[in-house]
Amino acid sequence: MDHLSVAIDHAKSLGADYADIRIQKTQKEVIFLMDLSLKNTSKNVTHGYGIRIFKNGAWGFAHSYIFTADAVKKTVEEAFKTAKFSAMINKDDPLRLAPERGYIDSYSTKVLIDPLKVSLKEKVDLMMEVNQTMLNYEKIKRATFFLECYNDDKYFASTLGSRIHSNITYVYPRITATAVNDSDSQSRSFDDGGYAAGWEHIKKMNLIEHADKIAEQAIMKLEADEPGEIRRRDLILDPGHLGLTMHESVGHPTELDRVLRWEADMAGVSFATPEKLGNYQYGSEIVNFVGDNTLPFGLATAGYDDDGVPGQKWYIIKDGILNEYGTTRDSQPFLNDGMSRGCCRATNYFDFPINRIPNLYLEPGKKPLSPQELIADTEDGIYIEGRGSFSIDQHRVNFQFGGDMFWEIKNGKKVRPLKNVLYKSSNPEFWNSCDAICDDRYWKDFGVTNCGKGQPMQASRMTHGASTARFKNIRVGGSK
Amino acid sequence: MKKQFKQAAEFISKNCTADDYSFFIYDTDTQDTRYAQNRITQNMTGTKLNINLNVAFGNKTGSATVNSFEESSLKDMIKTAETIAKMNKPDPEYVTSASKAEYPVVNNVAEGTEKCTIDDIVKMIQKVIDNAKSKNAFVSGLMTRTISDFYTSTKNGFEGFDRSSSFSNSMTMSDNVNKEVKVSRSVKDFNEFPIDKEIEELNFRFDTLSEPKAIEKGTYNVILRPQAVLNFFSFLLYFYDRRSADYKITPFHDSIGKEIFGKDFSIISTFSDPSITASPFSADGIIGKDIEWIKNGVLKNLFTNRSYAKKIGVEPNLMANLIISGGDTDEKEMMKKVDNGIIINNFWYIRNVSTRKGELTGLTRDGMYYFENGEIKHSVVNLRFNEMAIEVTKRILALSKEEQLTDNVRVPSMLIKDFTFVDTTTF
Repeated sequence: MDHLSVAIDHAKSLGADYADIRIQKTQKEVIFLMDLSLKNTSKNVTHGYGIRIFKNGAWGFAHSYIFTADAVKKTVEEAFKTAKFSAMINKDDPLRLAPERGYIDSYSTKVLIDPLKVSLKEKVDLMMEVNQTMLNYEKIKRATFFLECYNDDKYFASTLGSRIHSNITYVYPRITATAVNDSDSQSRSFDDGGYAAGWEHIKKMNLIEHADKIAEQAIMKLEADEPGEIRRRDLILDPGHLGLTMHESVGHPTELDRVLRWEADMAGVSFATPEKLGNYQYGSEIVNFVGDNTLPFGLATAGYDDDGVPGQKWYIIKDGILNEYGTTRDSQPFLNDGMSRGCCRATNYFDFPINRIPNLYLEPGKKPLSPQELIADTEDGIYIEGRGSFSIDQHRVNFQFGGDMFWEIKNGKKVRPLKNVLYKSSNPEFWNSCDAICDDRYWKDFGVTNCGKGQPMQASRMTHGASTARFKNIRVGGSK
Repeated sequence: MKKQFKQAAEFISKNCTADDYSFFIYDTDTQDTRYAQNRITQNMTGTKLNINLNVAFGNKTGSATVNSFEESSLKDMIKTAETIAKMNKPDPEYVTSASKAEYPVVNNVAEGTEKCTIDDIVKMIQKVIDNAKSKNAFVSGLMTRTISDFYTSTKNGFEGFDRSSSFSNSMTMSDNVNKEVKVSRSVKDFNEFPIDKEIEELNFRFDTLSEPKAIEKGTYNVILRPQAVLNFFSFLLYFYDRRSADYKITPFHDSIGKEIFGKDFSIISTFSDPSITASPFSADGIIGKDIEWIKNGVLKNLFTNRSYAKKIGVEPNLMANLIISGGDTDEKEMMKKVDNGIIINNFWYIRNVSTRKGELTGLTRDGMYYFENGEIKHSVVNLRFNEMAIEVTKRILALSKEEQLTDNVRVPSMLIKDFTFVDTTTF
């Protein structure tokens, strides 16, 4: 009998109210090149299973890497035992699970060239060439290339009758150039995040061209001026920057477990509390955020989540108003008797699945508008590309973000590069100041592969997206 | 040591054809119980295994990791690492694996933690929750018991084994309106975990918090309690790599041997104190020893890995544990040393603003208090700081005795003059 059936049958025989098992094999190839020296060339395989049991309003979870029927049964018993201990605490205030049904299905990332089968030579040759391109500039003193190729093969079964297979692949290249002179060091990266696809995605990127550009811009930043005192100006933010901004200021605050204060001891809580649903002006009327775990090439697109709930698409913010949260089967009942939005994910087989940000994106503007037209329409502003220093409070209200490249805008023109720019804002000021979003020709996605949350910490992945957008009258300047 | 470790070592020795290799096994048995809003939300148990092999043919290297002792898995790991190495480009900075060496004898494991059960943990959590309920409050946190076995071996003869234990609890109590306080601690021995004292401290902090009042941004004298000190100066270590310093990327270029910190600031690692655990060796065979990282403001050592150490002709090093040296001024005396100031329990979301300058940003968290004339006056709405970590050490006015925060970290409270807050917050 297969391990899935052994686990589910044994859990039923013990009297579990609900049980599931994830058998997960994760393969990760990491290559890290620094200054033409290979600092890490590794392939990691993690294979095991995690079993969740829900009994009397409480969870138990156990995991193992030993694949025998006896070991599976023993792991079920461990999970059952911990659930019963949890239930002793929860007896007056039990958890409930949102309704769901079973599914028999499979899902695979669309991959043309399996990145784990591409030869190391092809990868390292490319990385060396990119590295050398950056080091050809005299002022570039450090050049790095990080490449991750990832595959997750997962079998899920539950007492609801589900049997789901998923096979997820992504690739993630990141290159960084650091320029140094006697008084400063400045870095610039090409980093679009991870992308759920095969090696064909890397082949489409012109990484040599990007290497030249970021090397030149890192050197440019060395000589650039700082922005001076903080004052209110307009910000124009590119999609690579907005990906992180929306992750921190919209994605996390709308995770229902944070709203319920389940993450109070570590990641924090959320200001976006349930009484605000349907009436809170989170952003201006042109701001629409969509949660979409069906997004093509999205890192959170897997067919189903780790509750066995199908991927869905829904408005989290609609016409500027807080509309819905990202939810799981155990958090949803604290809101209403509806079904989960399918945001329950674990990173490894040994991790307990938790409430995660879905693929989340800002819808493009409905009227034709290009970034060039947006700049031409801006008198006094700063254009920010890419990610930089970012820090936000544990309620997800007050934040300070940097970026990777900065340009001063005066009277409709990019007039000079700047460095060490920071802006300070808060929810709901920031998203309500959004007065223009470029159209769908300029929409671009950005994949996060290291979203840290939970205790013990898990690094999860999801994709964000946006077109370049403008934010009026934001406090922006240097670090003081 | 588990016999599977030796068996794996023998298997690798027999089957690995590379010119050189090193490998480690990290085996961790963990019970993690999360609680939130006065109930258990997650309860997890299991053993995690990580077997990592690094091989080299000449100076061409490869690495592979598996999580199974099965011979087929070990074979796959060897084959994968060797295949990568054979296909790889040469690494000009490659160093051969560590040779046989003695490492410090330590006892990092406690029987009390080895014997700790889920029953013991749930009873302790019940106590924590009962306390919160008695104060009409809500508590969230994580209680963890960990037993870890760490084994490493190289072709050149280095072999090390370390077994360690840890029991930790982190808890945040809130009225779900505007009061939120946290305490956390980890120890080697579960039997010595001071849960009653931790609850007492949590209650003290909770009761001391009042309706927070907003204050203007600007510079304030601050008393950083130990958790805040640890969080702030942990980020100083972000800049602490010797290679980055030599490349002028971080603030420490050409600074070794110079007094660049305040003279009251010292960081050491030590094996001479049995109450604090210490890593006797690293995965790649660097031997732990007593090290002065910063002594009376003088930068003595920066992190240096084996390959860079060889390149510049110095010894590699390892931060076996972290002790920021303390003094003898308690919090009440600190409050009397200045006219007024702010007591900070913790920081949150600290990030690097400028790598070259060593500038950090972050926010206060878990409650803070304004004091004047030696007395706490009221709670304060959270603030954002932007500060130069090195400069902050030059403004230390007083240090308390060191407090052991985790099984391998001990830090004091600090009274610091003119700490810079650049923004207010809304709560």
